[in-house]
Amino acid sequence: MKDFMMIFIGADYQELGLSPEQMQQRMGKWFGWNDKMTEMGIVKAGDALVPEVKRVSGPDRTVTDGPFADSKELIGGYYIVKAENADAVVQIAQDYPDYDLGGTVEIREVMVFDQ
Amino acid sequence: MKDQKIVDHLFRHHYGKMVAILTRFFGLAHIETIEDAVQDTFIKATLQWRKQLPDNPEAWLTRVAKNRTIDLLRSIKAEKKRIEKISNGPSSIPLNELFLDHEIADSQLRMIFVACHPSLKPPEQIAFALKTISGFSTPEIAAALLTKEETISKRLQRARKTIVKNEIEFDFPSPANLQNRLNRVMEVVYLTFNEGFHSTNTDTLIREDLCGEAIRLCKLLIRKEEFRSGSLYALFALLCFHAARLKSKTNQDNEIVDIREQDRSQWHLPLIEIANRAMYKAGTYEDISIYHYEAAIACEHIKAKTFEETNWTNILKWYSKLYERQPTPFTLLNIAIVYLQMNELPAAKRLLEELESAHLGQRQYLYFGSLAEYHLKFDDRTMAKTYFEQAIATTSNGLEKRYLEKKLMQLS
Repeated sequence: MKDFMMIFIGADYQELGLSPEQMQQRMGKWFGWNDKMTEMGIVKAGDALVPEVKRVSGPDRTVTDGPFADSKELIGGYYIVKAENADAVVQIAQDYPDYDLGGTVEIREVMVFDQ
Repeated sequence: MKDQKIVDHLFRHHYGKMVAILTRFFGLAHIETIEDAVQDTFIKATLQWRKQLPDNPEAWLTRVAKNRTIDLLRSIKAEKKRIEKISNGPSSIPLNELFLDHEIADSQLRMIFVACHPSLKPPEQIAFALKTISGFSTPEIAAALLTKEETISKRLQRARKTIVKNEIEFDFPSPANLQNRLNRVMEVVYLTFNEGFHSTNTDTLIREDLCGEAIRLCKLLIRKEEFRSGSLYALFALLCFHAARLKSKTNQDNEIVDIREQDRSQWHLPLIEIANRAMYKAGTYEDISIYHYEAAIACEHIKAKTFEETNWTNILKWYSKLYERQPTPFTLLNIAIVYLQMNELPAAKRLLEELESAHLGQRQYLYFGSLAEYHLKFDDRTMAKTYFEQAIATTSNGLEKRYLEKKLMQLS
């Protein structure tokens, strides 16, 4: 078993102007997915991220505050799950609720330091 | 958290509650900021609750909204003095108390009166009520009212502008104005319900939501003793009678099911019982309204065990009374339809001839449909066909169109 990170990109509810009813429905789907993964016993960690961004970049450590123009690429949250391989995580990611809102799941294997 | 479930529509209903409470505290001038703040609360909830649901979701939402209020207090610094004045004034209630159940209801009722303020145009009143009290989003309102989003946005903007410009107070009308204003409130509730019940919107959920909202508002009004009247109870009865058969109005393929063919065993008994009790209550007051007669008509339909057992004589009586009070061409058309059911064909013909289709607006198709039915009584298929075709041509409603086309097909 290896660890994989699922990174959720895009589908910022705030920006999309979802109605209260739609948000409640979305949340139901997230619950369902979280329950399913918890039951499978594969969740190691996971959180949603607050959309406010601060970036530090360049040799001068320049600090810039969001929002940025590329908010479609904003990371909204992540899960770390245990799985056999990346294909298995692709299967898990089928239930991510926000594809229809333009959301993307990026799957990355957590690197293990070779002994 | 597995077995926990969030109450249906919790967010939507909570939206209305929070907006009303915060408006009571900050004043209507800040309604836009307030609506944004409440919206933020839900975004926060959708993100935070993914992993773990709070023990009491509603209390969580309330707490966050309350904190958000305090944030708002700080951010609107320019208004600080004014807010202090409000919150220290003799009529003010401490913020915490505004979150008590009866105060929430009170705030929501105030909001209903604001929405139905005479300085707003009727379409603005409905849009504003659906947004502010019922928590529908602009696209949802547009879908519900079969209107463009842009139109709804404009109506909402105009409503907010008028409210701020006219400095409308977040309060109940004076006793002298109360009945007048209540009448308009009831009308808006009635229209909201009709949008759901008669619109035959292709989306069943939207229809149910609209009807549910109208009933919820009506209940809220009934809670306040000084608002109760025969008309209010009759309106409530009417809505419940109709709502009892809302689900049987369309079939699984979302086709209209004629009341003749509806499965009467599917009519929702608990709602019928509530309606009956409300009808009884309505009779204990002295005032009489169109809602009394409309409820009586709805009740006659509900009472009939089969379509054949419908008491058309009573229905005719109620429609005639309704016409005395509200002489609209539409009521006249309904009377003609009742005569058709009773096989009183000369009487039906007289009324149909008296009516002018142009006066019926969007309901023209019903007029042509009735003419077709009239000719069918004489087995005149050619004339019936012509009128069905005219009916089809005059409705823009997809569901009605399909229903009429089916009837037309059965002719040939």
